[in-house]
This record gives sequence, C-alpha cells and structure tokens, in this order.
Amino acid sequence: MIPAQTQTPLPDIIGDLLGFGTEMGPGETFIASFIGAALVGTLMLTMTALAGPWAKRKITAAFTDRYAVNRIGPAGLLIIVADAVRLLSKELIVPEGVDRPAWDLAPIVIASSALLGFAVIPMGNGIHLADPEAGLVYVFAVASIASVGLVMAGYASNNKFSMLGGLRAVAQNLAYEIPLVLIAASVVLFAGSLQMSEIVAAQAETLVSLGGVAIPSWYVFVNPFAFVLFMVANLMEVGRNPFDIPEAPTEIVAGYQTEYSSAYFVLIYLGEFIHIFLGGAIIATLFLGGPAGPVLPGILWFIIKIWAVFLFTQWARSALPRLRIDQLIEVGWKGMLVLALANLVLTAVIVGVIA
Amino acid sequence: MIGMLKSMATTMKHALDGEKFTVQYPEETPDVSPRFRGVHKFSQERCIWCRQCENVCPNDTIQIITDDQRNGEEYNLHIGQCIYCRLCEEVCPVDAILLTQNFEFTGDTKDDLAYNKEQLKNVPWFKDIDPLASREPDRGAWIGEGEGEVDYQ
Amino acid sequence: MSLEEPKATDVGEAPDGTVDYAELEALLGDAVIGREEHVNAPAFVVRPDEVQEALGALREEAGFDYCSCVTAQEYEDRYESIYHLKKYDDPTQEVGVVVPTTRDEPISQSGEAVYRTADWHEREAYDLVGIEYADHPDLRRILLPETWQGHPLGKDYNPEKPQVVPFRENANPLEPDQRGDGAESDTMFINIGPHHPATHGVLHVETVLDGEQIADVEPDIGYLHRCEEQMCQQSTYRHQIMPYPDRWDYVSAGILNEWAYARAAEDMADIEVPEYAQVIRTMSAELCRIASHMLALGTFALDVFGDFTAVFQYAFRDREVVQDILEDLTGQRLMFNYLRLGGVAWDIPEPREEFFEKVRDFLDGLPKKTQEYHNLITSNEIFQLRCVNTGELPPEVAKQYGATGPVARGSGVDIDLRRDDPYGYYEELDWDVITEDGCDNYSRVLVRMREVEESAKIIEQCVDLLEEWPEEERTIQANVPRTLKPDPDTEIYRGVEAAKGELGIYMRSDGTDKPARFKIRSPCFCNLHTLREMTEGEYIPDLIASLGSLDIVLGEVDR
Repeated sequence: MIPAQTQTPLPDIIGDLLGFGTEMGPGETFIASFIGAALVGTLMLTMTALAGPWAKRKITAAFTDRYAVNRIGPAGLLIIVADAVRLLSKELIVPEGVDRPAWDLAPIVIASSALLGFAVIPMGNGIHLADPEAGLVYVFAVASIASVGLVMAGYASNNKFSMLGGLRAVAQNLAYEIPLVLIAASVVLFAGSLQMSEIVAAQAETLVSLGGVAIPSWYVFVNPFAFVLFMVANLMEVGRNPFDIPEAPTEIVAGYQTEYSSAYFVLIYLGEFIHIFLGGAIIATLFLGGPAGPVLPGILWFIIKIWAVFLFTQWARSALPRLRIDQLIEVGWKGMLVLALANLVLTAVIVGVIA
Repeated sequence: MIGMLKSMATTMKHALDGEKFTVQYPEETPDVSPRFRGVHKFSQERCIWCRQCENVCPNDTIQIITDDQRNGEEYNLHIGQCIYCRLCEEVCPVDAILLTQNFEFTGDTKDDLAYNKEQLKNVPWFKDIDPLASREPDRGAWIGEGEGEVDYQ
Repeated sequence: MSLEEPKATDVGEAPDGTVDYAELEALLGDAVIGREEHVNAPAFVVRPDEVQEALGALREEAGFDYCSCVTAQEYEDRYESIYHLKKYDDPTQEVGVVVPTTRDEPISQSGEAVYRTADWHEREAYDLVGIEYADHPDLRRILLPETWQGHPLGKDYNPEKPQVVPFRENANPLEPDQRGDGAESDTMFINIGPHHPATHGVLHVETVLDGEQIADVEPDIGYLHRCEEQMCQQSTYRHQIMPYPDRWDYVSAGILNEWAYARAAEDMADIEVPEYAQVIRTMSAELCRIASHMLALGTFALDVFGDFTAVFQYAFRDREVVQDILEDLTGQRLMFNYLRLGGVAWDIPEPREEFFEKVRDFLDGLPKKTQEYHNLITSNEIFQLRCVNTGELPPEVAKQYGATGPVARGSGVDIDLRRDDPYGYYEELDWDVITEDGCDNYSRVLVRMREVEESAKIIEQCVDLLEEWPEEERTIQANVPRTLKPDPDTEIYRGVEAAKGELGIYMRSDGTDKPARFKIRSPCFCNLHTLREMTEGEYIPDLIASLGSLDIVLGEVDR
C-alpha cells in the first residue's frame, strides 16, 4: 500500500488529532477520511442552505427594488429552517407509471455528483480532502455525472414536459463539456500539472509589483480571455440563466423537475446550488488562486470567492433572457468551441515560447 | 455583447442604489386616496328604505326586508359577493350607505362575510377618515335629471 | 394635367370616401332580400344560401377586407347572423350583412371561405345561439365544453335544467394521444396549459410536436367563460352594465373597455357627452393604456427571460404609479367603474393642482424608465436573437384574421380607431400612430413600448387643457334620465381602440331598459386566432414568446 501522505492532507490532520500517528492503517485512514469528508460536506451544505432560501431571495430583491426575507429571525435567517420544514413536510407524490429505481435515484445522483467534486478542491488551511495527481480530471468527470441524473429524472418521470427537459439537458451538457475542458486544459499548460494543489501553488508567485503591492500571478490576470470564456461555459454547465433551458419554467413548466415533490425536490433544488458552488470552486482554484489572499485565513478567502461567483450567476440571471435550445447548441459548438481551441493554441504557443 | 453588458449594468445599478419600492405592511400602511372604495358602512338613522340601492346593485348583493308598513327590518349586504362598484352609494338619496376606505376585513367562511345591518353599522373608518368629508365637493356631480319629465323609478 | 394618379376607388365607394349603398346593393344583385338600418350603417339582408357569394363580392370588389364581428341572435320567429364589415384603410366605411334563417332549420352558409376570422366567430355562434353553418371546416363548440347540452343565448334554453352527460360521452383521458398523422407518426402531442406558468391565464394549447418543432397548434379556449354577454343582457343600460366591462380585459384596461360600452350606448340613445368629460375620458383611457402595455411588456419579459426577473418587476413598479394616479381619480386601482353614460362619474379630485402635479411627475419620470427598458430589452442581443424573425405574421394574414391593435400594427397594417374613427378628444390632440414593418415578436414589443410614449404625449396635452379649463364650463355629465329606454329595434355596432385592439359592442334594444342582445367583439379573441399562423414550424420557446407578444387576456377571449 502506498502511504501517499501528501495526497490526503485533511485526513492526515484529523488522524494526528485523533492520535493515530503518522503511519495509519486502512481502517484508521478510513475513519479519518470519513470524518474529513463529513466536515467538508457539512460546510458546503451549510453554504448551500444559506444560498438557496435566503441569499438568493435577498439578492433578487436587491436587483428589483424590494424588501426580501426579513421577518423570521435575525435578518431573516430562520427562513432556512422554515423552508426546510415546509419542504420536507410536503407529501411525496409518486406519479403513476414512473420508472421506479431510476426516478428515485435521479435526485441523489444530481446532488451527490456535485458533492463528490468537492473532495479534491483545496480550500486553504489544510482543508483539502484528497490530492490525487489527476485532480482536475476527476472534478470534471464527477461534475458531468449530473447529466446522467438529469436524463434519469427526465425520462423516468413519465411526463412529456420532463422528457423534453431531459433531452435539452443532455444536449446542453454535451455541447459545453468540451469547451469547458479545453479552457481548463489551457490553464494546465500554464501550471504544468493536473494536481489541484500544484495549480494553486503555481499561482502564488508574484506577477508584477504595482506600487509596492505584489500582484500574484493568478490566471485571471495572466489570461483574462480564458477567464471570461470559462465563466460563460460554467454558466452553461451549471444551468443558470441565460442557459437554464432544461428547467425553463415558463416553457416546459419545470422541465426535469416537474414530477418531484418534498424530499426529492429538496435534493434537486439544493443540488443545483451545490453545482453552482462547485463551479465557483473550480473557477477559484483555476483562475483566482484558490485560497490565496492577504490577511484573512485561506478558507475565508475561498468562501468569499465562491460566493462572488454565485453572485455573478444571480446577476446574470436577473438581466439576461434565455436562449433557445438550438441557438444555445449553435453558440456552443460554433462559438465557444472555436474560441476555446484558439485559446488553447495561443496558450501553448506562449508557454512554448516563454518557457 | 454591448447590449448584454448594458442590461447587466442596469440591474446592478438598481441593486446598489438601495431604493425600495415596496412598503413593509402592516407596520407602514399605505395611503389610500379619499375616493377609495372599501367596505360599506350603513346608517339606519338616515335610511329611508327606498330600495334604490337594491335595485341598482348589478349582482343582487343587497337584500332588504321590510314589513307591510315599509318599516325596515333587515338590510343585508354580502361584502364577499360585492364588486365594490359604488352604485349603491351613488343612487342613495340620503347617504345612508357609504363606502369607507377600509379594506382590512376578514372572515373565516364566506357566510361570515354576509353582513347584516348591525355589522355594517360597526365597520370602522380606515384611519378615521370619513369619506363624506373628503368627497363632499363631488357629491352633487353625478346627478342628472332627464329632459322634460323627471323619471322616478 | 393632374400630378397624382387618381386613387382607385372600390365599388360602392363614393369619391368623398363614404359608402354608396345603392351601388353595393346593385353589386350584390339578387342575393339581397331586404335592407335594414342600423345606427352605425345600413345592412343588407341576404339569403342564407348565398352568404359566401355576397361576402365574397363585398370583399373582392367593394374592398371590405375587415370582418370585425359576427353576431348571432335569436328572435321569436327566426335566427339571425350579422356580419359587420369594415375596411382596414377606412374603418368608418361600414356595412352589415344580415343572414336570417328559420327556427326549425337554422342552417346558413359559412363565411369562413371569405374571411378566416369567421371560423371562430361562427363556432361561437353555433355554441351559444345554435345556428349551424354549412361548409364550415370544423363546427364544434368553442367556449363551452364539448358535451354541453343546449345553446345558452337561444330562447329555448332552460338554465335550471341540470346538465346530465353520460360518462361515455366525455373524452377518455387515459387513451393514448394520437394526433398529427396517426399512430405511426413521429410526432408527440402535448398539452400546454391550462395550468401553465406562461399561458397568461387559463388557456389550453394543444400542440403537436415534431422533436422540438411545432407541427400543429390549436388553442382551446373557454376556461374563463363567465357569461358576460348574458349578464349584460340582464342589467340596465344606465347603471348596471357599467361595472362589467372593466372585467373583460381585466389587466388595467378598465376605462378603455368601459368606453367601448359607453360609446355604443351613447350613440344608440343619442346622448352627447360634454367636452370637458371627453378630455377627462381621454386622459384616463390613455393612463389605462400605459398600465396595460407595461403589464404586457412585463409578462412578455417573463416569458422570454424566464421567471420573475428584473424587467417584470420594473414594469410592475411603473404600473403601480399609474394605478396610484387612477386610484386618486376613480377610487379603485383595477375595476374603475368610472365612466357613466353621458360623461364620467367624478371630476378631478380636489386640490386639482396636486393631482396634476402627480401626473406630471409621472410623465417626467417616464423617459428615464423607457430608456431603462430599452437597455434591458431592445438592445439586448440575446433578446433580439429570441424575438427577431420569430412569430411572423404577414399583414395579409393579419387582415384575414381580423387582427387589430399592436398585433396588426406590428405587421405594418396601419389601423387605429382613435385616428380613423375618432371619438373622445383624440382628434384635437397631436399624436402619432406607431406601426412597424417587422411582422415578428420584436416589432410587436417595439410598437407597445412606443405607444406608451405616445400615450404620455396625449396625457400631457390633456393635463394642460384641464388645468386651464374655465370653472363654469366643467360639466362632467350630460343630462341623462335615470332609466334609459332606447327606441325598440335599434341595433348598433361600435368599436373603440382598446389596449389590445378593436373592442366592439353590438347592442339591440327592444324598448325595455335592458339590452335584448349584447355581443362583445373581443380583440384578443381574433388575435389569438392567428396563433397557428404565427407558430407553424417554429420551436416551443417561440410559441411561448408569440403567445406573450399577442398579449391576450383570457377574460376578454372567453368573456
């Protein structure tokens, strides 16, 4: 068995705290990893619970000149509890004719595929669950399991609107995986490694020194074009306006979510937000230097960055109309793919020339 | 691209300037205009039981019961069925039925909203505004008499 | 030598623009069996088996290309269908075609071959009154359920009798849906609505899809049928009908609807409205038009942007300001009941300067808000991608379907009853009619946004006039008797430019104080009929966007 000590930072810390010593056996590794995974999962789910019922409504209200949740609890935060109780106490309606195991498993697939991705994200202060050498590939692979979940939900629901939503989801995800991965590949060219901690470390060097302030070489400064493309592709991947076609409430009611109620609906709803945060985490790691930042501890900077990406998605949602599915596919295959390839080639040339 | 960026800038401006258009009801009650048509208030002292309101009501919301000597026994108005058109107030020659500005009324069942004359008498003024005082200058405005013979119906 | 070519006049059109009915009678030849005089125009009584010939001649040669309404009614001894015809170029040139049929065999020829709009109007006539139309492509009930027994607006209808329909008569909901080309086709049948976030009310659209493209669309209406026509037939002219028009197009166009009824009744009973009241009517009607277009814009943005995002909320916020002004003026925010026969119910509220200042503040803030909408909507590239070249409605098709209002003006058809058939104070004011040639969803949205600016111009001029109106001449109502009984057997059809198009009312009096027949020509009904033409071959999102740009209000479609 290969100890691979440097590849599981968080379980190592936990193992230390629990007194397992530096050489942990498989059982002890399992316990430490389990605790670590629970911690990371809880942190992410807390942020999602904050974002879904509370922050999203506050932000939307700010954009539309309204007061929002401000009645229950301090600053309205107890709305999260109220919403949770309300959603979980609803009746779980199982429509006739649904394809049973697939229909039940779909929400779980959607929610858990995003959570799995958080395993390899470096969040600063040693909170980094696992650090395999192919971390970046793992993240993208796991995030796209969600498309399977969407299709399962769409097809198994025995509802024409859901099926339309599922089909659209597949088309959209296929169209945007490739540009997404290509742009990430250009970042990999800069960093020279697929390992997430290496990518973060590569961004710590100083790029320029402006009047005494050292600007680190975050890839957003090095290659802003790729950053913009990646933000757009991320919006498409996650399924937020202007690309929320699979869910398109005003066209196909709720798309693949139509037949879900109560606990399943909570899973899908939160799953969408976890995906947004995962997208934000990937952007933070790839372009924004991960947990790097002055003064505050790394984990706080990391949280600030993924919330910033979340705010950006909400902002785009408030202002931009939705594209039609064929226009979206067109933009994906003709526009984004070409630009991503151009970006990759350009990066390769620059790296080859400079390095 | 520019168009999209302009849209996004517009919404962000709204978010950052912090003005709110909505009001926090019920702490802040909105001002309603003096002519606002809310729940009716009935004054038995003034009513002469002419039944003009019952005749004019478009959907038979008012029900009046009088005895043989035309003394008024019951005056029922279903405020849930009423469409708040104000025709009853308009035709009443003695201002016995008025529409206050009060829109805050509740009932547990629909039948709770069928008000009899006691309940209509007790309808509170909204913020103590008596609509007659504010509508006084206009009260005479609607009256039209037919050309030639006056038409009592 | 004349410098301009002489304008080709249609048969029956005198050089000064009025209709020469003798020439029309000669044109129709022996199809005509009589003549009637309605208050709006003379009408020709035509034999029931020569309807298509008569209508065809009137359309092709006399140029009456606009069939505004098809009214059906039942008398003691006969049934009657009346086709009210006008011209798009000059709506003051009107003619009626009355088709009587016997009571035992109420069959007359359908006018659908000549005017496509007669399709749905005749279905409604069959549904509510009971007249059958031969050669109609698809004569089934439109407003009432398929299994309804009896014809409610006919004389023999017994409303107390329970509707007993055996179960086997109803459509089987568990049967697999086979529409389109039959069991072996690749198409999918899907029901959009009546419960749907985007159908603007309870509208049921039966769609046949080929992948994501639409193969066939059929709107199924009648879910909001509230028997408005029957209710108005049981209410007195003078007071009781007036609250009801507010409720036809219930989204903020109340005063425009009330004006339709007021205009028809005043013309029938020959009541003249004082000028001061006309100015107030014009001002309040244009305020209603702004509110209605704001809502149309907001809900269209809802359909295209997805959910209650910024544009929808801003449109509603702006509409609230208009509703506040109308609340000060009329007493209510949505169901105004403000017009009366002969004028308006109330004068401007005291103190007048405060009210005028409020209106002027609103008008001053309007350009900034329209600029915001232009930033958010019209110059947004994604919006343009979605709306340009979708929902195409060529002007000829629009005319065939009797489309009016922003739907027609967005296709380049220049018709606006405020200018062409003037009423109120519109003739004396300075404003323009907006038309766009795009024929697609985008141009309809543009027409509505620009109409808001034109309405603001009208309101400003009205406010200037009202401020300086001398105090002694402020009469708000004419002298109208408390009970209005127009002469028996007077029939009139009049229309106004409501928010969605031409809202027309046909009334027939029989000497009592309640109308004997009250027919509402709803603009949304005719506009909705064009949906199929607009969406053939397009995608579902385009269908939703087209529905939004048609701006239908189910209260008006179903009445």
